[in-house]
Amino acid sequence: MDTTSPRLRMSILGVVVLGCFLALFARLWYLQVMEAPALAIQATANRTRTIATEAPRGRIFDAKGRVIVDNRTSLIVSIDRNELKKVKNRNELIARLADVLTSNGAPIKISTIEKRLSEKQADQLQAVPIAADVTEEVIHHLSEYSEDFPSVSFERKTVRVYPYGTAASNVLGYTGRITAETLKALEPGTDPDGVVKSYHPDSIIGLAGVEATYEKDLRGTPGVELVQVDSKNRPVGTESYQPPKSGNDIQLHIDIDVQVRAEQALVDRLAVLRGTSQRDGTKRAAPAGSVVVLDPRDGGVIALATAPAYDPQEFANGITQERYSQLQNINGASALIDRSITGQYAPGSTFKLVTATAALSNGLIDGKSSIYDDGVYKVGNPAQEFTNSGGQKNGNVNVVRALTVSSDVYFYWLGDRMDGTTLIQDAATAYGYDKKTGIDLPNESAGYVLTKAEKKALHNKYPTAYPNGDWYTGDNVQLAVGQNVVVVTPLQIARAYAAFANGGTVYQPHVVWKILQPNSSLSKPSDVLRIIDPVVTGTVTLPPDVRGPIESGLEGVTGPTGTAASAFAGFDLSAFPVVGKTGTAQVDGKADTSIFASYGPAVAPRWVVTSVMEESGFGAEAAGEVVRHVYELLANQSLTGAGTATSGTRD
Amino acid sequence: MLPQSISSRASNQSRRDPTAPLRHLDPVLIGCIVILSIVGLIAVFSATRGPGPDFSKSYLVKQSIFMLIGAGALGLFAAIDYRKLHDWAWVLYGATTFLLVLVISPFGSQSHGAQSWFALGPFQLQPAEFAKLSLIGALAFLVSEFRGDIDLRRLVALLATAGLPMALIMLQPDLGETLILVVITMAILLVGGLPTKYIVALTLVGLIGTLGALNSPVLADYQRNRLTAFVNPGDKSNKALYNIEQSQQAIANGRLTGQGLFDGPQTKLGFVPEQQTDFIFTAVAEQFGFVGSALMLLLYGLLCYRIWRIAQVAKDSFGTYICVGVLAMFGFSAFENVGMAMGIMPVTGIPLLLISAGGSSTITALAALGLVLNVHMRRFQ
Repeated sequence: MDTTSPRLRMSILGVVVLGCFLALFARLWYLQVMEAPALAIQATANRTRTIATEAPRGRIFDAKGRVIVDNRTSLIVSIDRNELKKVKNRNELIARLADVLTSNGAPIKISTIEKRLSEKQADQLQAVPIAADVTEEVIHHLSEYSEDFPSVSFERKTVRVYPYGTAASNVLGYTGRITAETLKALEPGTDPDGVVKSYHPDSIIGLAGVEATYEKDLRGTPGVELVQVDSKNRPVGTESYQPPKSGNDIQLHIDIDVQVRAEQALVDRLAVLRGTSQRDGTKRAAPAGSVVVLDPRDGGVIALATAPAYDPQEFANGITQERYSQLQNINGASALIDRSITGQYAPGSTFKLVTATAALSNGLIDGKSSIYDDGVYKVGNPAQEFTNSGGQKNGNVNVVRALTVSSDVYFYWLGDRMDGTTLIQDAATAYGYDKKTGIDLPNESAGYVLTKAEKKALHNKYPTAYPNGDWYTGDNVQLAVGQNVVVVTPLQIARAYAAFANGGTVYQPHVVWKILQPNSSLSKPSDVLRIIDPVVTGTVTLPPDVRGPIESGLEGVTGPTGTAASAFAGFDLSAFPVVGKTGTAQVDGKADTSIFASYGPAVAPRWVVTSVMEESGFGAEAAGEVVRHVYELLANQSLTGAGTATSGTRD
Repeated sequence: MLPQSISSRASNQSRRDPTAPLRHLDPVLIGCIVILSIVGLIAVFSATRGPGPDFSKSYLVKQSIFMLIGAGALGLFAAIDYRKLHDWAWVLYGATTFLLVLVISPFGSQSHGAQSWFALGPFQLQPAEFAKLSLIGALAFLVSEFRGDIDLRRLVALLATAGLPMALIMLQPDLGETLILVVITMAILLVGGLPTKYIVALTLVGLIGTLGALNSPVLADYQRNRLTAFVNPGDKSNKALYNIEQSQQAIANGRLTGQGLFDGPQTKLGFVPEQQTDFIFTAVAEQFGFVGSALMLLLYGLLCYRIWRIAQVAKDSFGTYICVGVLAMFGFSAFENVGMAMGIMPVTGIPLLLISAGGSSTITALAALGLVLNVHMRRFQ
């Protein structure tokens, strides 16, 4: 066979060319028919960008349906930097804009505009906000003369409003722009229609309080605009638009009237005490304090006051570093800490509830077991002396009277007798001390109630901070009166007294009551998406022979012979009997921590009210006074029937 | 009866001059040329008119002018008996070689990193395009002179003839045009009766040379990346891949029936570069889909088939080799250009003849087709 024959060679050439064309057809079929759907998705992703519009967050109502966090529209003027680059007389434009803003009630300097324009932004497609909360006149002018203001745009954004000002700011928290780390870690929730509430670099999220814990509910569903862009990422048109949708509303157990009263009473009392001297001559700094009002029937948080407090509005507009530092030091205390849930204090005599429960339920004493209180209790050899506050002698005391008059000696004796056991610690744990309450607010503290083993372990772990690892009888004696080896939060005190008040059920405190539809109407039951049910975290066994003597003892506290008699002088206890316990915790070199824990009315209790005030002195004179002021409002509510609708539906 | 009627009509015509060239035009080939040229004008317009509403017509106008000049060249190259080229082959070869030298001298202009243009007012002259045609002429002349008897000495002469313009074009550098010259040479040598042992030897030398070049500093990094992109489609560091990815997405976006004329978002928004030249196929494929672009390829295939057929019916071997050269030129131009856009061929800029915008390439392509028609017309003379 002649391999050089032109005919053969022509055929070979033909076959090669044919082969090439067949390869092209095959590839074309593959790309345009077989792989097209997958490749087309990539192509669409390439030429579209998603622009998200933040939706209004859900509103927040108090227990009686009053709006305590709302939204309002803020008019914002922005400049698109990419468009600005194309403007010929750039400086003239900026001067003109400053002029329009200034002459229409929104004064601004040219330098301020330039500063804003030079700031870095997360999303280059988004225009730079130049001025917020401008007047309608500015908008009118800008839209009327829009040709004179190329690259300038305006929008209406929703921002948070607080009709009750700073009230409950620690509970409500505040919102702010998401950080890059949070953006990566945050799992978005879904709205009632199941649409994912996605986040983007400019998203606003809850940073504290309920705004943070109920972020998934409060966050609205962002509006999503699918914008077609060209290869240089310039927008050329809109492919689809889904409008933003408000977030779920929520209703709190908080009664804003009670909250405001608690805050006011606290601040007023701190101001009165500040700078005065307590009995032993120590100056009261009275820098800070807290009030907790709980519903003992379900753990609902009716008020949660802390002082000093901050204005969440300051955070809404972006806070300066200087102001932030100021807030961290108001009379020596930080306004950014919610003392009601993170403050850790020795509970002092309010802890006698626990000691008494331990002693009575373990048969160490009954209601009548008495000793002679000569003001001093001696332990060990050589004897270590523990005295009553102010060296007071109470004579013959049983548990009832010991609680009423706050006989430390009686409880030193109980502590001595229970040394070598963990009976007190066990009772404390039953009341919910030594662990977080699980309240639906961030940054709660747990406190601690040390046992012998725990003290040893602490010493071994931190030998310098805890130089002594041994457990002495003195430790148990101190524990019995809530000193030295026990630290609690105000919320834990309130929860323990709530458990005692309701007969032994320990509830997880809850600030939020209901989750409602976006833009809900409270009168429509169908608008309720879900109710946060009470959660029982434990029980304290309180048979009548245990609860009876303690209750009698606490009832006497507000009475004429009780330690809080002065605080409740003139309060109509027959109409609204208040059961409580004072506490005065010693702090080395400072004025005492003043504590008062209580509930009322005595029969069928509806409120637990506690207060803890730092460096403020004796229990009754500071915290007792504050609590009394809260009860004045509550007693009035309960007598006039105001608020019955609320408790009615809650039952 | 059908055969009789045809023969009777033929005998009627033969009464005048049965071998008259004008009686033996190839209507199918001419049809292909006309339709492809129109498709080309539409494609160029859609790729260059911009987002509007003031659509730019400058490319359309320019390309139309080139088409007209090209039509003139086609007429000229078809009218003069191709056998006269026998005497002119070396003149043409010499003239283009001179231009190729001139273009890499300071007289030439640079663009996209290659010195391959003469700037002539608003137009640009690319001598490498003409070199294809002159090389076809020179090789066809030599091989036909050798009458199917190519020994080593003659092979060296042939390779030297082909190698000179290749070397000059590589100096610009223009890899794509050099490759076309290689393919043209290979096709003519194949049909011209190069003994199989030499074919095997040349193939081996070519393979080793290619691998060697890819692993040597002769090629710039960007050239190597382009050449190897289609082999490693997952290599994210390879910038050439971005264009290829966009181009394939645009083609896929055409689906079966296309997005419609002037309606390809991927190409319209500028995601595919050089749409009017190297990536013109993406514009066609996105707008007209598989149906449209396959039809265009089919027309291209038909064009190649007609050239192949004319190569076989040519009266002399000179005519055959000319057709084989032109066939190689068109076939490879289509395979490389379209294959590159679809990611199965290396990235190197070669125009899709008759479709891509470009004066020199369009005029050369039409002139070459004029020669093929010439061979067909005079197959009985």
